[in-house]
Amino acid sequence: MHRFVSFLAVLALSSPALADMTKEELHALLVEQDERQRSSGDYKALAYVEQKEKDKADVVRELLIFRRDADDKLMLLFTKPKSEEGKGYLRLDKNLWSYDPNSGKWDRTTERERIGGTNSRRSDFDESRLAEEYEPKFDGEEKLGKYETIRLELTVKPGVDVAYPVVKLWLDKANHNVLKRQEFALSGRLMRTAYYPKWQKLFSESKKADVWFPGEIRIFDEVEKSNSTLVLMRSVDLSPLDQNMFTKAWLESKSR
Amino acid sequence: MTLFDRMLWLIAFRSLMQHRLRTLLLGTAIAGVTALLVTVTGMYVGIRTTLLVSATTLMSGHVNVSGFYKATASQSSPVVTGYKKVREVVQAAVPELDYVVQRGRGWAKLVSDRGSAQVGIGGIDIAHEPGFRKVITVQAGNLDDLNRPDGILLFEEQAKRLEVKVGDVLTIVAPTFRGTNNTLDVTLVAIASNIGMLSSWNIYMNDQGLRRLYQLNEETTGALQLYLKDIEQVPGVQERLRVALGRAGFELLDPDARPFWMKFDAVNRESWTGQKLDVTNWEDETAFVQWIVTALTVMATMLIAALIAIIGVGIMNVMWISIRERTREIGTLRAVGMQRTSVLAMFVAEGFLLGLLGTVGGGVVGLALSLGLTAAEIALPKSWQFVFFSERLVVSPTAAWVLFSVGFITLAITAISIIPSFLAARLKPITAMGHVG
Repeated sequence: MHRFVSFLAVLALSSPALADMTKEELHALLVEQDERQRSSGDYKALAYVEQKEKDKADVVRELLIFRRDADDKLMLLFTKPKSEEGKGYLRLDKNLWSYDPNSGKWDRTTERERIGGTNSRRSDFDESRLAEEYEPKFDGEEKLGKYETIRLELTVKPGVDVAYPVVKLWLDKANHNVLKRQEFALSGRLMRTAYYPKWQKLFSESKKADVWFPGEIRIFDEVEKSNSTLVLMRSVDLSPLDQNMFTKAWLESKSR
Repeated sequence: MTLFDRMLWLIAFRSLMQHRLRTLLLGTAIAGVTALLVTVTGMYVGIRTTLLVSATTLMSGHVNVSGFYKATASQSSPVVTGYKKVREVVQAAVPELDYVVQRGRGWAKLVSDRGSAQVGIGGIDIAHEPGFRKVITVQAGNLDDLNRPDGILLFEEQAKRLEVKVGDVLTIVAPTFRGTNNTLDVTLVAIASNIGMLSSWNIYMNDQGLRRLYQLNEETTGALQLYLKDIEQVPGVQERLRVALGRAGFELLDPDARPFWMKFDAVNRESWTGQKLDVTNWEDETAFVQWIVTALTVMATMLIAALIAIIGVGIMNVMWISIRERTREIGTLRAVGMQRTSVLAMFVAEGFLLGLLGTVGGGVVGLALSLGLTAAEIALPKSWQFVFFSERLVVSPTAAWVLFSVGFITLAITAISIIPSFLAARLKPITAMGHVG
């Protein structure tokens, strides 16, 4: 299946008439994006998130990301700075919970909430679900710096709740990496632009294939133009995680 | 002689007049405390009245029918669906109703070219908000322009923080109740004077604009705000409404005397889905600011108690000195047949007269001071405005509080004078007459 999807995607991007791509071919491009980033086993990474806001000092946060894509589980644990240490997020079923060790309280947040008050969202750290959530449409070709790209416009599928109902993706024609992503509000206003200058891969024993992840994401707030966020992914590890770690109790224990 | 004997009061009065300086000093101190009590209680009434008027216009009716809609068990939205049917029930069940308005509710990010702020949004239909105009003082722009679908009203402090003026375009960013981000470009049509804490995070926009932002239909609103002809009828109306709405088939939340935004956690923990209504009153919706009134009451009580204690010690000392000075006089009165109880009554009457003269004088001064302070329209520092819910000092003395102040302090002074009076009454005539002092 994976090979077939890749074949379709390669075929689509190598075709001279990109504008004539069928719905299936466009869908295959999204499936390929999701598939490339999917880790059938567990996933752990260390991330640095630098937030720049107008009239405020830049803040760098360090956090650990834990994922078990097979069960749709995600956990984020802040480790630095001291004021943020022990705070965390846990996705259970369809709910995203945030934990503050200072109050010892769990609060249910929307899945679309900003992570740690930055411009980053849960989706920036979670597995990609583009094919599941959006319908793609060819939106043209564009040269992005030295890269030849194909631009897709994704519209949310009926009945699916997402943070942004319209997303534009710029895919590198050569290797199919996402280079740029723009997200639009219901009103059609551009909300966020994200750039993905570095993609890295690791071989996964459980998946028997490479798992791709963005080594760096540069996110620009398009409403408050002076705000931006830089996300750096480091130390990605695909080894199995403790079986019982995706629980509130585990996160609380790490916060003590 | 008893306390009802005219002679006793005459003696007490003459005694006070004979020691004019002492009487003047003590009377002035008592008058000062009374004036302070009248002014402080006037401030308390002023704050409470301002809070009531502001809160019941800006963020709550006298009684509110609001509620939560839950599409899933863990996700709630502060809306009333099918509000027109609810309004029919309300109008039938509440004959005391003066008028009712519907208000949209939201929480969003307001972004200007120069800054941003998280704000609570009230969606209003300005044509049907008679009370709103009475409370809002427009500094710039026109309140009627709130009928524009993109019209928005900010308070002075917010406009200053966002560096915007009337006519500027701002963007409101908020997730809809299904969690999808949406934006709305709005135009600042009016800037209003601050109303303390209540205006620090609330803004108002056209109701239709709010509906567009949150993708709400015409049958959905945030809350129905009921204004009664007499606010004293709130508890009865609230109870009756719960019964009437229940009978009309609406599901109701259990009573919870907190503002709606403090109830999300509790509502999200419950397993039901669909619509449940909530009936609250203005005190529930402003519970988060009521502490200011309570704190002020406690502080004022402590201050007055301390002052009365200090004055009380002074009065006791002065009366004790007076008794020592008049020991021979007491002895003579006892020798010519005055009973101990009469001596006690005479000194208690003296304390009472002193207290009454001082407190009445103080009450008049306090009243004049309160009215003068309000008339002077003294501008309050920004930090004080937050607590006083007003830009200017408002002191509203009431007859009840003035009478209470006069009565309470007079009684306290009389009670304090009982101990030295009792000591005077215990003196033996022979000892008293032989006293050299």
